[in-house]
Amino acid sequence: MTQVSDNPLEPYVRAALALQGYTFEDAEIAEIAAQFARLEAIARTVFDWPLPFASEPAPVFRP
Amino acid sequence: MIGSAGDIVQQIAKGTRSAAAVLAEAKVLIHARNPDLNCFTATTFERAEREAAAIDALQAQGKPLPPLAGVPYAVKNLFDVEGMVTLAGAKINAGNAAAAADATIVARMSRAGAILVGALNMEELAYGFLTENHHYGTTRNPHDRTRGAGGSSGGSAAAVGAGILPITLGSDTSGSIRVPASLCGVFGLKPTYGRLSRSGTYPFVNSLDHVGPIANSVLGLGLAYDAMQGPDPDDPACAQRPVEPAGGSLSLPRGIRIGILGGWFHEWAGPAARRSVQLAAAALGATEWALLESAEVARAAAYIITGAEGGALHRPRLIEQYEDFGPSSRARLVAGGLIPASWVIQAQRARQHAYAQAMALFERFDLLIAAAAPAVAPRVGQETLLINGRSIPTKAGLGVLTQPISCIGLPVCTVPVWPGEGESPAERALPVGVQLIGAPWREGLCLAAARTLEQAGIAEVRLL
Repeated sequence: MTQVSDNPLEPYVRAALALQGYTFEDAEIAEIAAQFARLEAIARTVFDWPLPFASEPAPVFRP
Repeated sequence: MIGSAGDIVQQIAKGTRSAAAVLAEAKVLIHARNPDLNCFTATTFERAEREAAAIDALQAQGKPLPPLAGVPYAVKNLFDVEGMVTLAGAKINAGNAAAAADATIVARMSRAGAILVGALNMEELAYGFLTENHHYGTTRNPHDRTRGAGGSSGGSAAAVGAGILPITLGSDTSGSIRVPASLCGVFGLKPTYGRLSRSGTYPFVNSLDHVGPIANSVLGLGLAYDAMQGPDPDDPACAQRPVEPAGGSLSLPRGIRIGILGGWFHEWAGPAARRSVQLAAAALGATEWALLESAEVARAAAYIITGAEGGALHRPRLIEQYEDFGPSSRARLVAGGLIPASWVIQAQRARQHAYAQAMALFERFDLLIAAAAPAVAPRVGQETLLINGRSIPTKAGLGVLTQPISCIGLPVCTVPVWPGEGESPAERALPVGVQLIGAPWREGLCLAAARTLEQAGIAEVRLL
């Protein structure tokens, strides 16, 4: 039976894990969701940064 | 005393010391000091004896000696070494086939006459700024065995800091040369992204992975760096640039404009780190503050790119062998693999934007300085760092000052400074490194500034 979590990101984590072919126990999912929450907290800095619309990504970075 | 690379090269050239004798001393030091430090995961003494004999034969015949003739060194265990399994600190790799050939820069070190003596411990898969490896043990700090060496190139920094070797090689995705160099009190060079070939190294984050040397002198750093330079079509990120020797001329040009990075870099530097920066700035005559506004966003972008690429790289084995990954890395790796594509694209856009801001800063300054770690080495097992009243997880937080710089690929030389700050005598005896940051391809300037600090006695490797 699936445990109820207070991590609001856990439903996303469960869906994304299934999409990528992972199968985990609830305790492992909770740990992964906690790690994902840390990533999301840091990622917010990038979301909020006012980038020029035309700025290009640097997937292969060549200074 | 093993001595510096420059001293060893000179002594062998003059015939006052043989490569075999230097190697014998290195072996004694490894046997004496490694057991309680845990720097090495393997030794390559048979190969080393062959390489040393070849150097001594050249010397005996009066033939020209290569630039690193007889200098012993070792490599983080993510570099391919012919005949050895490349572990990258991970149990999941232990059953892999042995490497068929040396990594490009290991082969170049051999051609330069250096003597490979072994492979060094690291954080599992290079993911984290500690070397508390679940499978291969913790690498301890040579200046205080209750503390860690930092990571992920912890074995590389500790082996030099303990006086075992004059040069080692490491890798740096977000600070993995600079953080352990800072904590162990040694010199480290993270070159410009793409300067040194990564061919034959175990990847972590292709967009951010760098390789470079760690040494007990600036000259040693320069000699190794020069020996490893050059284009390599086998690494798609390696710049097809000619060798630009930096080690031969280590004098700082007059009129160099040096800025002290404030903002993020000051906020996240604790008292000891700030004191290190102050000492280096004073010795270099730097008085002006510089602001890299995008530092926080660059750090976040690196974090996202690292998580996404690392998670994607290891997904197949995380599915099959989750239990074989260390408990401190496996959940983080899986979580990284769940990052949506839109975050990664935004992070790559932010990265390019941060790079443009840094380049604007280099119109006003030739060199930037900042601490390499927020504090002195943490105790082994310490879970959080308290920096200026703010708590941050140790494993990720030690890289808070290095991550924004590697995100945008700038060259950095980290120098060991001894601030004498701390709440206890033990803390006051520990180093905090300073980053000397250049514009792309200006490694020579970073090394010259490091040499200036070394000559001034501000930056030094202290052996116990």
